[in-house]
Amino acid sequence: MNCTRLAQVLDAYLDSELDRATGEEIAQHLAHCPACTGLRSGRDALKQRLRSQAPYFVAPAALGPAVHRSLTAALDGTARRMRRPSWVQAGALATVAAVVSALAGYWLAQPLPDATLREQVVASHVAALNDVRKLTAITSVDQHVVKPWFQGKIDFAPVVRDLSAEGYALVGARLDHVANRQAVAVVYRVRNHFINLFIWRAAADAPEALAVSSVRGFGVATWAGGGLRFGAASDIDTRELEYFARLVQAQQS
Amino acid sequence: MRDAATLIRFEATVLIHLDAAYNLARWLTHDELGAQDALQDACLRAFRFFDSLHGPSPKAWFMAVVRNACMDWLKNQNRRTPEDESDDAHGALAAAHASGAPKTPDSAAARAAEARWVRESIAALPREYREVVVLRELEELSYKEISAIVDVPIGTVMSRLARGRDLLQQKLLGSRTRMKS
Repeated sequence: MNCTRLAQVLDAYLDSELDRATGEEIAQHLAHCPACTGLRSGRDALKQRLRSQAPYFVAPAALGPAVHRSLTAALDGTARRMRRPSWVQAGALATVAAVVSALAGYWLAQPLPDATLREQVVASHVAALNDVRKLTAITSVDQHVVKPWFQGKIDFAPVVRDLSAEGYALVGARLDHVANRQAVAVVYRVRNHFINLFIWRAAADAPEALAVSSVRGFGVATWAGGGLRFGAASDIDTRELEYFARLVQAQQS
Repeated sequence: MRDAATLIRFEATVLIHLDAAYNLARWLTHDELGAQDALQDACLRAFRFFDSLHGPSPKAWFMAVVRNACMDWLKNQNRRTPEDESDDAHGALAAAHASGAPKTPDSAAARAAEARWVRESIAALPREYREVVVLRELEELSYKEISAIVDVPIGTVMSRLARGRDLLQQKLLGSRTRMKS
């Protein structure tokens, strides 16, 4: 390793993009060469300066919802030949999105009678994790093994789906209780985290939109549909739990 | 297949990188509305071609789509105002020269001026250096990912990054030397 060569590969070295052998050669050369060490300090100073002072532009809050809308429109096929929206239209959309999310925020901030329900879902989740051996009464990654296991044990047919392609591996299921009602718990795993998906019979038939919140650090997602109530609880990120819930919902329909 | 489940998967794998995409779009277009416009376009394109997702990571794949959308936006801008693409970068450079490097680093105002100087120096880089510097220094992407996004060989990523950093260093650390004297 000479100084000319080092100057060529210094950036790749500092970016950890070189193989170990070359890296060691460079480290040895740097230990003995003040000129090259000077080059290195220059790069370190630059990096430090950029890290602390270069601005990072974060997407405006309205952009995510606006993108979601146009994608949903594309989904319906209505936007197949969509003109690019003018900025007036986009502005109007953004305003609507902002108002809707503000209203949703207000609505979510209200104390809901469902708060206790969410608390119960989390309580059942925590109780189940207390003894991992009892987490599942039937352990199988195969939905066609898990689903028939419920036959004769409960008076409704719960949804058991394979979501492994999306990263949520089926672990198994068991019978459990949520708020003193008999429920089934379908257990999924994502990385090292368990998700308990509780399903039980709804008191009323009315569908209920998905609500995701956080209870004592646990994420909990609840919704209702088809005469059943659903409650998913886990210690994964609430946003990720929401995706999980929406996947289950999408598979239901 | 474009159903609701696909959209959810798309949002979980691709749209989680919206901030990164917007950051790149801002640095490429130098324009707030332009970046949003290009990003809307990019998301629709990416969703349409979601099945063909490939490359080192979903993020790199999406960023490549975003970069292309930004290039198209810039081309359209140039057609409307037939000026050099880097004009606005030159403008920023001139402004940076006019304002000069900050002299006293102690006060909040001086720190803000220093940050502006960093921003203007990056903005003034020619595009091929600016994009690799942003992707590496702000997004911390690997050379392999950057190579996929910018669509050049890894060796080119390496040399552009080195050149871009040289240019920045001359400006930013040169100004620091002046401050000390």
